[in-house]
Amino acid sequence: RDRYQRRVRGCNRGAMGSKDRLPIFPTRMGLAALKQKLVAATKGHNLLKKKADALTLRFRAILVKIKERKEQMNPFMKEANFSLASTKFVAGENVSHLIIESVEKASYKLKIGYENVVGVHLPVFETMKENQSSKLDLAGLSKGGQKINKSKELYIKALESLVELASLQTTFITLDEVIKITNRRVNAIEYVVMPRLQNTIQYIVTELDEAEREEFFRLKKVQAKKKKDAVAKEIQRARWLEENPEDYDNEDTGGRDLTKMEDEDVIFD
Amino acid sequence: MSAGSMLYFNVNDGFLEGIVRGFKLGILTSADYSNLVQCESLDDLKLHLQTTDYGDFLENEPSPLHTTTIAEKCTGKMVEQFNYLRAHSVQPLSTFLDYITYGYMIDNVVLLITGTLHERDPEELKEKCHPLGKFDAMGSITVEQTTADLYNNVLVDTPLGPYIQGALAVQDLDEKHIEEIRNTLYKAYLEDFDRYCRTLGDATYEVMHQLLGFEADRRSINITLNSFGTELEKEDRAKLYPRLGLLYPTGIRTLAEAEDPDSVQAAVAHIPTFKELFSQVGYDEDKSLEDAFFEHEVKLNKLAFETQFGYGCFYSYFKLKEQEIRNIVWIAECIVQDQKSKINQYINIY
Repeated sequence: RDRYQRRVRGCNRGAMGSKDRLPIFPTRMGLAALKQKLVAATKGHNLLKKKADALTLRFRAILVKIKERKEQMNPFMKEANFSLASTKFVAGENVSHLIIESVEKASYKLKIGYENVVGVHLPVFETMKENQSSKLDLAGLSKGGQKINKSKELYIKALESLVELASLQTTFITLDEVIKITNRRVNAIEYVVMPRLQNTIQYIVTELDEAEREEFFRLKKVQAKKKKDAVAKEIQRARWLEENPEDYDNEDTGGRDLTKMEDEDVIFD
Repeated sequence: MSAGSMLYFNVNDGFLEGIVRGFKLGILTSADYSNLVQCESLDDLKLHLQTTDYGDFLENEPSPLHTTTIAEKCTGKMVEQFNYLRAHSVQPLSTFLDYITYGYMIDNVVLLITGTLHERDPEELKEKCHPLGKFDAMGSITVEQTTADLYNNVLVDTPLGPYIQGALAVQDLDEKHIEEIRNTLYKAYLEDFDRYCRTLGDATYEVMHQLLGFEADRRSINITLNSFGTELEKEDRAKLYPRLGLLYPTGIRTLAEAEDPDSVQAAVAHIPTFKELFSQVGYDEDKSLEDAFFEHEVKLNKLAFETQFGYGCFYSYFKLKEQEIRNIVWIAECIVQDQKSKINQYINIY
């Protein structure tokens, strides 16, 4: 096959034994460019690996925190529910209805902030207390007022711990996604991109070497041929001189006209 | 106690008094309660309740029982009993029984007003009302937009009309806080009930005066304690104290000046009952003032059954029944929420 065609069809993955490489024409400039790319890929690989490690570390820490919070939340909710039952005991079954009906707007609102960890934006929830009207301060004025207030406090505590837990869980999920993506990229660079670059570089180097060797060989051949020609000419000249001794001075090689001379090409015939 | 009342009482009301005493025998005793606290689940509870007067009232409920269902059904049973008595009664017992419902009516009206002001669904609101406090104009309350309209069109015709008229001016209805309205109405109600009982003869009056007086005192103390740290001014607060009970008139005056819980305790210390109640609270960690009040109320209500030829026993029966329902719900909640340590905080009746 033609040497040119063989070079271009570098990316022949299907055939066994042939390596995965980029389809470019093997030149020295190409080689230099590829070497640069390899360096960049290695650097990128290191940075991404560091990022993945930092994220994994943060991930583990959050996991521990989530477990802790979940365990803490359980008794909070239990206490809050129990305080509601206790309030109902004192103030009557309908107290919760009355309170629900007299609420106008939420007094606890959620604010979403963003935290930046190693370039990843993680959402963080915060509760914001908005001063509601003091209408509900007098709930249970004639009976159960203290229990209602205590219930309120316990539920607020439970709510805050729930919000924290929610915050941690969203962070957990986001981090999980990002870690997966980063790891995928690290692996891609390590097992696909870099070997491909390396193979291509190797291929170019071999091709260049081969071409050089070919040239060298060709040069040698040309020189040998020239030598042979020179030797043949000498023999011819000697024979001519033998036959025409008086033309010793009239060699056809005398009286050169420099303007009409052509030098013999060394390389190209 | 005039001879006449003793002679003629049974003619009109003897049958119903007998019925009420029969009902009273069905109130859960401490043996029943000790069975109930040992239940592991609400189905166990249902099983135990079947052996009491409650019978099969939970029979048709779908399997995972809720404490709210139990509460509703128990209240339903009580309402059945009340309606039976009311249907068979003649004057003046029927008016007396009506008076018992006015308390619940006040709660319902307050709930409906609040709900309407905040534009809630009227059907939902009606379901949340207490069944004993139902009255005809309930549906039309939800249609009114402002409390002035409410008063002019609706409330004036209900039995609560005179309370509103006597106690609140129309513009007050709008401005005042709903809890103040509730307490003002309740104050008028207690005073009116007391006045009415006076016309019913000594047998009734002795018992009812004591019970209503205790209720008034308890409300005054609670209002004072709960109003610390809120925007309720002392003068407004003083207007909410009913003019009834052991604390009237001197205790009320001192209470109105009180600034913190200690001064409240000092204000009521001259009455041995309250001194005793407050010291019980100080002594025992788990017991709150409300618990002490409940216990005392139960004691007074039980005493009402010791007299005869009076209507006090009717009132007391329903109060005791209410307490019993509260106890059952408490025990049910403790079982469901796995808080067995607190389960014994119900109030024992018999």
